[in-house]
Amino acid sequence: MSAAISPLEQMVVVLARDLADGELGAAGAAALVPMAAIALARELHAPNLTVGGEMFFNPEPGRLYPSMLDDRALGRCEAAETFIELFGHSHHGLDFFFHSGLQHDAFGNINLHHVGGTLHAPGIRGPGAANLSYCHTSTRFYICPTVHTARNFVEKVDFITIPGHLSGPEAKRAAALTNEGPRFVVTPRAVLDFDPATLRMRLKSVHAGTTAEEVQRHTGFELGFSGDVPTTPPPTDDELSILRERVDKTGTLRA
Amino acid sequence: MPVTCRKVPDRVSSTTVVLRKFPANSPVVYQGNRSIGATTHTMDGQTKPTRRSKVTGLQDAAHLARDALQERPELCLGGLFKQGRPVALVRALLAAGAKDLHVYSSPGAGYDVDLMIAAGAVEQVFIPGVTLENRLCPNFRSAVEAGQVTAHALDALTVVGGLMASAHGVPFQPIDALRGSDVLKHNPLIREIDCPFSGRRIHAVGPIRPRVTFLHAQESDRWGNLRHLSTMIYADQLMARASDMVIASVDRIVPDEVVLDDPARVTVPAHYVDAVGEVPYGAHPTASFPNYAMDEDHIDAYADLGDAARTGDRARLDEYIARHVTGPKTQDDYIKAVGGAELFARLEAEARKE
Repeated sequence: MSAAISPLEQMVVVLARDLADGELGAAGAAALVPMAAIALARELHAPNLTVGGEMFFNPEPGRLYPSMLDDRALGRCEAAETFIELFGHSHHGLDFFFHSGLQHDAFGNINLHHVGGTLHAPGIRGPGAANLSYCHTSTRFYICPTVHTARNFVEKVDFITIPGHLSGPEAKRAAALTNEGPRFVVTPRAVLDFDPATLRMRLKSVHAGTTAEEVQRHTGFELGFSGDVPTTPPPTDDELSILRERVDKTGTLRA
Repeated sequence: MPVTCRKVPDRVSSTTVVLRKFPANSPVVYQGNRSIGATTHTMDGQTKPTRRSKVTGLQDAAHLARDALQERPELCLGGLFKQGRPVALVRALLAAGAKDLHVYSSPGAGYDVDLMIAAGAVEQVFIPGVTLENRLCPNFRSAVEAGQVTAHALDALTVVGGLMASAHGVPFQPIDALRGSDVLKHNPLIREIDCPFSGRRIHAVGPIRPRVTFLHAQESDRWGNLRHLSTMIYADQLMARASDMVIASVDRIVPDEVVLDDPARVTVPAHYVDAVGEVPYGAHPTASFPNYAMDEDHIDAYADLGDAARTGDRARLDEYIARHVTGPKTQDDYIKAVGGAELFARLEAEARKE
């Protein structure tokens, strides 16, 4: 592969590797990276993965679009549903889902409502979110913001729109969040996961070209790593060629 | 308050035979035989009353909606984000002078709600996600941050469940998938209840009954049988069944035979629809697939004006509203104002591209 691997391509590959054949899942609101990951997984190792739960089944877009709520992005699509079926899917849950927000905190909670102030007197009012249920009715979800700074990775979010691990195992149990919740976080800089005992976020690997110290500098809370942090396995030739030739023909992930 | 499915006859239908939305066990009030305007002559020379067309002009539809919303300000909008939104109806309503609206939608909205807020027509927003997707809604943000508009914290299941309760004629819809979010502490539409079967604490949402719902579909016959030809149809069918009054814009009014030849293709039966208008490009700048794509450039340019207004330069936003909302007297005027045939040829081509 000639061109350098872009941070978004690295994110897509990390996510695609974790999606299994036969699973049911959907991309969520900020769809570019998740849809690319789903499409790549279907091309590579998960031909029976079903895209569903957001009112369409198995879309075949000719290229990547920033939103899946666009008939162009659905392209040829096997079937459509409505919000009535979405009501049911939200209760039954999916295998996987994706989220990102204005703020993400050390326990994987996500804020899309307000930064500063209060809900009805906000400093910055965010967009809110439509579906708050897939994060805990689904087996697991992934956090994949396309920006990673000390401003959007904070110790504690101002408002929990999407619950992650709340404040740890006890709070999660008390709120009856019985599924896995956020499995890991992929950003343009690194992969982060959660300490199984405390459910606090920690650095798992850093993408090629950056360092653990650099990631820490761009994170608003202590990541608590010691020693050498591994490098995220870069895309294989196979992964990269299929991603560029079949999933992202227009190079949106490199733009 | 008792929940009733009975549809209050609206002005547009007050002279017609209304046999709809009655629960099976209610007395059916037959209003026929009164003041029916038109008659036709049959072969044997007898006269019989004719069925009333629901085809309505954009301004008449807007006045109908405005008057109804003065009774109760709950307006609901079909489509989702940048697809299938009844934007021409929204503009006409704004031009007719609606105020203090409580706006509902399928769980995601953007441009149209932001425009209504920019025009000063909104008091409360009951929509879980308000965003242009690629950027935040500038006027929504400004108004909520300034305390001029209340944006309730809600989720998709509350809105869909509330519409379900209304459509189905039941006093509430149970929801058992709301946990862990701060939205639960602020959501004004839900209550905690004990599940009568499991004993577990679950949530309930009461009926959401919009006074007026605006929909956009691709086709209708003159009776108001709507046909969505887009891939997704969002919550449009649910809203139609949940609302007191339903007004739709369509790209094309089709001959009766088109509907009769393929009844399974009707997405919203005329029974639920009070008025329908053929409004070319009536969803612009949102999409009406498969006929035309969303106009992202228009929405982005609008959002730039909203962002400028946030930093004190409100003049160009006001100019936008004058040029697109209050200025055009007809949809043709609007089409010319936004770019005319050349623009729409491009959006049509974009929609056809696979």
